[in-house]
Amino acid sequence: MTDNSLGLTGSDGLGGSPIVAGVSDRIPTWVRSVLVVFLLYMFLVGVKLLESGVKGLGDDAAGGLFEGITNPLAALFVGILATVLVQSSSVTTATIVGLVAAGVIPIETAVPMIMGANIGTTVTNTIVALAHARRTDEFRRAFAAATMHDFFNLIAVAILLPIELLTGWLHQEAAAVARWLPGGSDATFNSPIKGAVSWGFHQIERVLAPLISNVTALSVTFIGVGIGVIFFTLAYITKNMKKLIADRIERSVNASLEKSGLVGMGVGVVVTIAVQSSSITTSILIPLVASGVLLVRNAYPITLGANIGTTVTALIAALATNSIDAMTIALVHLLFNVFAIALTYPIPRIRYVPVMLAERLAEVAVKRRWVAVAYTLTMFIAIPVAGIFIFS
Amino acid sequence: MVLEFFKGNTQSGLAAVQATIVGMLRDGHDVFMAATDALFGGGKSKQTKREVRSTDKDINAAQRDARRLLMVHAAVNDTDLLLVLQYASIVKDAERIGDYAKNIYDLVRYGTNFDTSEDSAELERYRDAVAQLILDAAKAFEATDAEEAQRLIGKADGFLADYDDKVKEAYNYEGPTSEAVARALYFRFLKRTTAHTMNVLTSLVQPLDRLDYYDEAPEDRD
Repeated sequence: MTDNSLGLTGSDGLGGSPIVAGVSDRIPTWVRSVLVVFLLYMFLVGVKLLESGVKGLGDDAAGGLFEGITNPLAALFVGILATVLVQSSSVTTATIVGLVAAGVIPIETAVPMIMGANIGTTVTNTIVALAHARRTDEFRRAFAAATMHDFFNLIAVAILLPIELLTGWLHQEAAAVARWLPGGSDATFNSPIKGAVSWGFHQIERVLAPLISNVTALSVTFIGVGIGVIFFTLAYITKNMKKLIADRIERSVNASLEKSGLVGMGVGVVVTIAVQSSSITTSILIPLVASGVLLVRNAYPITLGANIGTTVTALIAALATNSIDAMTIALVHLLFNVFAIALTYPIPRIRYVPVMLAERLAEVAVKRRWVAVAYTLTMFIAIPVAGIFIFS
Repeated sequence: MVLEFFKGNTQSGLAAVQATIVGMLRDGHDVFMAATDALFGGGKSKQTKREVRSTDKDINAAQRDARRLLMVHAAVNDTDLLLVLQYASIVKDAERIGDYAKNIYDLVRYGTNFDTSEDSAELERYRDAVAQLILDAAKAFEATDAEEAQRLIGKADGFLADYDDKVKEAYNYEGPTSEAVARALYFRFLKRTTAHTMNVLTSLVQPLDRLDYYDEAPEDRD
C-alpha cells in the first residue's frame, strides 16, 4: 500500500471504497430462487418422511411416545420447550402437523402444543434483547419490545386455551374451514402437491429401504431424517428468502416506521410469510426499537402480524399430508392467532396491555439485570420442564 | 405501506441513502450560494435569512432520514456493516455544508459586504470554485464515479493551501479589524466546506479508516 500526496492509499489512489464495490451476492438471484423452491419441496418431503416414519412404528409404539402428554397443560409445555430447543416455531408446528397426520397425536392434544409453540418462539427475541443489557435505555426499550410478544401470547393462551378445553370451539372452527377447502370434504385432504411430494419420499425410501431391513429401524430412520430435513430446509429457506427479499423487507419496514395498527400488522404478516420465520421479523424490530427509531407501540402490531404470518409454515406442511386433521391443526394455529388479535386488539383499553406489562417488566429488568436472565430461564426452560414433569 | 413490499424497481436501502446524500449536497450548494450571494452585494434580508435557515433544516431532516434508513438497513442486513459505517460517516460531512453556509450568512448579519472590497472579484472566484466543487461532488457521488472523485479531490486539495494562506494574510490585513476578521472567517468557512465535500468524495476512493482527514495539513494526514 502506498500513500500519494493527497493522502490516498492504494497504488492508484483508489484504496478500496465499499461504496464503489457495493453489495454483491455471490449466488445469482435466479439460483437462490430455484434453491428456495427446491428447499420448500424438500421441506414437504421431510414432513412426509416424518408422517410415514411414525405410521411405520405402528399404533402402539408411536402412541406410546406421546402417551404421557395427553394432559393439555403437559402438551402446552412440550410445545414451549420443543420450540425453545429448536428456536423455531415453524419446525415445531410442521412436526406437530406431521404427527397429527400420522394419527399419533390427536387434535385435542395438538392444539395446546401449537399454542405452546407460539409462546416458545419468542425466546429468540428475548435473547436478542439481552444483547443490549449494557446500555440502560436501549435495554429498557429492547426488552419491552421482546417481552410484549411473550405477554401477548400468554394472554392469548390464557383466554383461548380454557375456551378450547371446555368447548373445543377452536378446533371445530378449524375443522369446518378445512372441510370447506378444496378437497377437504372427504375424510382425507386432497392436496394437489402431495403427488409430487410422494414421489420425492419414494426416492428416499428406495435408497434407505435396502440398507435397513428392519421395519422399526427404517421407521425411526424416516423420523430422524424427516425432522433433520424439516429443520435444515426451514433454516435455509429463511436464510435464502431473507437474502432474496432484503430490499423489500427494508422498504416495508421503512414505510411502516411511523405508522401503526393495521399497516404494521400487514407488514408483519407479509414479511413473515416471505421469510417463513416470525423470529426474523421480530428480531429485526428489536435493534430498531432499542435505538429509538421505532416506538415499542408501533412495533407491537408488526409483531402481531408476524404471529399470523408464521402460521403459513404449518399450512404448507399440511399440504404434504393426506390428512384433514393435519390441515385442521394447521388452521388451528392460524385461527388461534387471528382470534387472539380479534379479541384483544380492537378494544383500545386492552389493546396495549401486553405492551404495558412488558414495559413494567423492562423497568424492573433495567434496575436489576439478573431479573431479565432469570425471567428468560424461568419462562422458557424451568416452567416448561417443571410443567411437563408435573402434568404428564 | 404493505404494498411497498410488492413494488418492484423502487429505491431501497443503501440506494435511498445515496440519493439522500446527493440531495443534501445539492441543497448544500443552494444554501451556500444563497449565503454567499448575500455576502457579495445581496445584503441581509428576511427572505435570505429564511431561505438559509429552512434549507439548513431540510438538510438536517435529510440527515436524520439517512440515519434512519441506515439503521433499518443494518437491522435487516447484518453483513453490510462496513457500508453502513461508511455512509454514516459521510452523511455528517454532507450535513456540515449547510451549517457553514449558516455561519457565512452570519457574517452578512454582522455587516460584512465583500462587494465593496478591492479584491471582490478574487473573493468571489474562490466562492465559485467551492460552489462548483459541491455540485461536481454531488454528480460524482450520484454516479459512484471513483476516478472523477479522485480528480476532484486533487483539484480541491490545491484550494485548501490557498485558504490557509488567505487566513494568514488576514492577520496582516491593514484595513479595519472587522474586515480582517470577516476575511479570516470567510476563508476558514470555505476551507471547512471544501474539506467536508472532499470527505464525501473520499468515501468513493478510500475505506472507512481513511476518511475525514482533509481539514488536516497534508503532512498530518497519515
